[in-house]
Amino acid sequence: MQQSETILSLESIQMRFGGLVVLDGIDLAVARAELVGLIGPNGAGKSTLFNVMTAIYAPTRGKVRFLGRDVTGVAPHKICRLGIARTFQLVRTFLTMTARENVMVGAVYGAGSRAGNAAQAADEALDLVGLSARRDMPTRHMTLSDRRLLEIARGVASQPALLLLDEPMAGLNPTEIRQMVDVIRRTRQERGIAILWVEHKVDAIMKVCDRVVVLDHGVKIADATPAEVVANRKVIEAYLGEPAA
Amino acid sequence: MRASMSIWAVIAAALALLPFWPGAIDSYAFSFLFFVFIYAILSQAWNLIAGFGGQISLGNHAFFGLGAYATAILWSGNYLWGSLYESHPRIYYFDPVTMAIAGLVAALAAALVGWPLLSKLRGDYFALGTLGFGEIVKVLFVNGGDFTGGAFGIVAPSSTFDTLLPHYWTGLGLTVAVIIAIGLLMRSRYGLALIAVRDDEMAASANGIDTLKVKIAAFAGSAFISGVAGSLYTYYIFHVGPDSVFDLDWMLLPLMMTVVGGTGTLMGPVVGAFVMYAVFDLARIVVPDYHPVVSGLAIILAMLFLPKGLARIGFGLPGLVRRG
Repeated sequence: MQQSETILSLESIQMRFGGLVVLDGIDLAVARAELVGLIGPNGAGKSTLFNVMTAIYAPTRGKVRFLGRDVTGVAPHKICRLGIARTFQLVRTFLTMTARENVMVGAVYGAGSRAGNAAQAADEALDLVGLSARRDMPTRHMTLSDRRLLEIARGVASQPALLLLDEPMAGLNPTEIRQMVDVIRRTRQERGIAILWVEHKVDAIMKVCDRVVVLDHGVKIADATPAEVVANRKVIEAYLGEPAA
Repeated sequence: MRASMSIWAVIAAALALLPFWPGAIDSYAFSFLFFVFIYAILSQAWNLIAGFGGQISLGNHAFFGLGAYATAILWSGNYLWGSLYESHPRIYYFDPVTMAIAGLVAALAAALVGWPLLSKLRGDYFALGTLGFGEIVKVLFVNGGDFTGGAFGIVAPSSTFDTLLPHYWTGLGLTVAVIIAIGLLMRSRYGLALIAVRDDEMAASANGIDTLKVKIAAFAGSAFISGVAGSLYTYYIFHVGPDSVFDLDWMLLPLMMTVVGGTGTLMGPVVGAFVMYAVFDLARIVVPDYHPVVSGLAIILAMLFLPKGLARIGFGLPGLVRRG
């Protein structure tokens, strides 16, 4: 089978805070239009890795490459303009704006800003996540679930090649989770956007991802298809502890 | 929205025609309105950086003073018009070039000081940083030697004065121009970025906005407007001194007027300037010995009963609702 083009690659990323090594020698690649899940127990280093990718932290060692360019430590707004959009674990929407204005920010200032027609990009993104009917609602009146969808729409409107999702399921009920899974799936299928999805809820990841990466104590312990990962001994031990002798 | 703004256009037109009313020019109301215009311009300037931009500047009086000094220095030293000044002794009086330079000097100072302050300091710390900047500028001007006139300051040729009419019209014109400019700005893509930065700076930069650039631009814009107001004031007072034009009141009063009128609204600062200046002036006339007490009481009452500003009541008037 022909391998598709790699757009994001992390090369032996190490991150230490003082004497504490949080990430150690992480290699990771994401191909165009690929849906990759990133899981791991609490404290595995998922969020830190996320922050390295979005240049909130500069790694102690290693490189982040995106579309052939070294983007290690590049300013966050430039990362976005190059084509990496993201959402936040604690939702960050512009609360005094309407839903559509929020999405317009991504459309006007994101990677697609030079393509013009921001209004159309914004409306299509709202349509994709199913918020078209609430486009003129002030964001502060929206539910958590809608705000999470809005963040995805804002990211999609910026016309990225890669969308980073930071625990998009956190705080959602089962109905909302099903809706979110559907949106994530369609974002990849209809828009061809690669997605790297950090999640706590493992079952959701296993259902939709092409590939799952597992971190434990700052080390990558698995990188394979969902079926292979659930059968992986190291992964089971990381989540359930070592079997009794 | 555009059609409903017409009520403000009617008010502006009525104010523009007021001088033709017999006796209006010599009335007290005329100079009262001139000061309302100055404060409305300063309030709009403060609202741009603090209300729309979310960056509380406590140094805007420095920009007012810089604009006032720039005007007085250019004029008294005849740095602009050379020999033309001999044949046209009124050439600096309300000269648009001089007024624009006054604004640009203030804007340049804001950009220079905004670079370190806005990139390194947030919230309260930025506010204190700007307050410190204001004091530094004042001290620099006290010790500026012949160039700034030291502690006394500079006197501009007051022989050019014969009526308050040009002050009134220029003040009104600038007020209207600033409202229109900020109104258009906030509907533009820049306005979208400014609100995004105010609402959530981290999300703004993650969505492609260069937040430092946006904040510096708002700070410089606020300074430009304040500097032009300072220039206008120089044409009225003819004497700029460190204790007069760098007085904290030039920042504190517009701040109070904006908060009372409605922070982050387009017309709130104007309504606030009118109402608060009326309260201050009335207190000064009726109870001259206690006017700070009455003025302070008015502010406390306004904050207690109108915590979101006069503008939030709306009076059914447009432009008083916070954007978004």
